[in-house]
Amino acid sequence: MSAREDLDVEAGEYALGLFAPEEADALERRLLDDPAFAAAVGRWRERLHDLDRAAEPVEPSPDLWRRIETQLDDAPSRAPARHAAAPGFAARIWNSLTLWRGVGLAGATASVALAVALGAARMDAPRTPVVIAVLLSADSTPGAVVEVFADNSAHVAPIADVQIPSGRALQVWTLPDPQTGPVSIGLMQDNRQARLQPVRLPAPKPRQLYEITLEPATGSPTGRPTGPILFKGYAEPPR
Amino acid sequence: MTSPTAPDRDFVAELLAACAERDRMALRRLFETEGPTLIALARRIVRRADVAEEVVQDAFVQIWRRASSFDPARGSGRGWVYAVVRNRALSHLRDERHVPVDDIELQSYADAQTDVDDAFARLSAESALRRCLARLDAKPRASVLLAHVAGLSHGEIAERLGAPLGTVKTWIRRSLIALKECMT
Repeated sequence: MSAREDLDVEAGEYALGLFAPEEADALERRLLDDPAFAAAVGRWRERLHDLDRAAEPVEPSPDLWRRIETQLDDAPSRAPARHAAAPGFAARIWNSLTLWRGVGLAGATASVALAVALGAARMDAPRTPVVIAVLLSADSTPGAVVEVFADNSAHVAPIADVQIPSGRALQVWTLPDPQTGPVSIGLMQDNRQARLQPVRLPAPKPRQLYEITLEPATGSPTGRPTGPILFKGYAEPPR
Repeated sequence: MTSPTAPDRDFVAELLAACAERDRMALRRLFETEGPTLIALARRIVRRADVAEEVVQDAFVQIWRRASSFDPARGSGRGWVYAVVRNRALSHLRDERHVPVDDIELQSYADAQTDVDDAFARLSAESALRRCLARLDAKPRASVLLAHVAGLSHGEIAERLGAPLGTVKTWIRRSLIALKECMT
């Protein structure tokens, strides 16, 4: 079988639920950092979906919804700010602050680490940034601080541990204009502070979105984010 | 909330986006529209009505907590929701497998074959999946259906079909390749 067929068969077996628990766990992690595998699993779910839909519906017990509702927590910290205008669905996805996948994130000790990193970043960056974005992980812990200067150069200070698989790199993106989509502002081979060279973009604006994704070592092959989003956040001018 | 009638919109994906923004009505809407089919889906795997409801209950709590991790670039909202319920049902099955089954469960386990036949029979005539499954030989087709519909493992399928384990694995791999070619 070709490598492509191997991938599709493995994804199909996973979608069918044929793996033992420990193998399934490993594959679940793979779903997060192997976009090709995740896409193949997604395609199998769509192919097999008619069988799910063919189950003859069963009326739920009258109290089932109540049982579900009592277990819900509203965790407001994970809710993104609602936008005044109703943006298109694609824009909403991009804007949704909670739409990320945390990959290999160790727990970030939030406020202390944040203060220290901000202080450190300031000391070796005498220029004043135009905007600063604190990027958060999927569980709303701070993952990185991005300072962006007038010439669109940037200083990125990771403040959470990230396991970068071999052959991968961190790529930093911004969304100057939702119409034109995300633009790369630089690539980081490791999870250490980095200065990113100026890029030709309009000067950063308040509420501009910044994010870091996991991509191939040479950067996203498509020029758009393809890997899981590690951290994401909005920029604001320093007060 | 948006209209479910627009055919080119992923209505479930929109509900999930609203769930990520802590909109309980969106989750309730999802429960009302998909709940009955999801309970049926869980029941084919866990074999018991009460357990199927527990599975769906757990799955909806998970959907609420994890709605923000749904990525529309990787498949439909409905596909994601069904996968959460299926995975929950399968892990329940794995957890329970070491527990001795009683007579009622043994009987309901035997009913799995009926469910599998039923699932295939209920596929609509226009379904590409039906057309492509129909092109497989009987036992390879049964293997795929027993895995997906009843949540059986390779070993259980082998036992059920009276075939060696390696043969069942080969049937499923070849069936997957044939299905993929047939459905593209």
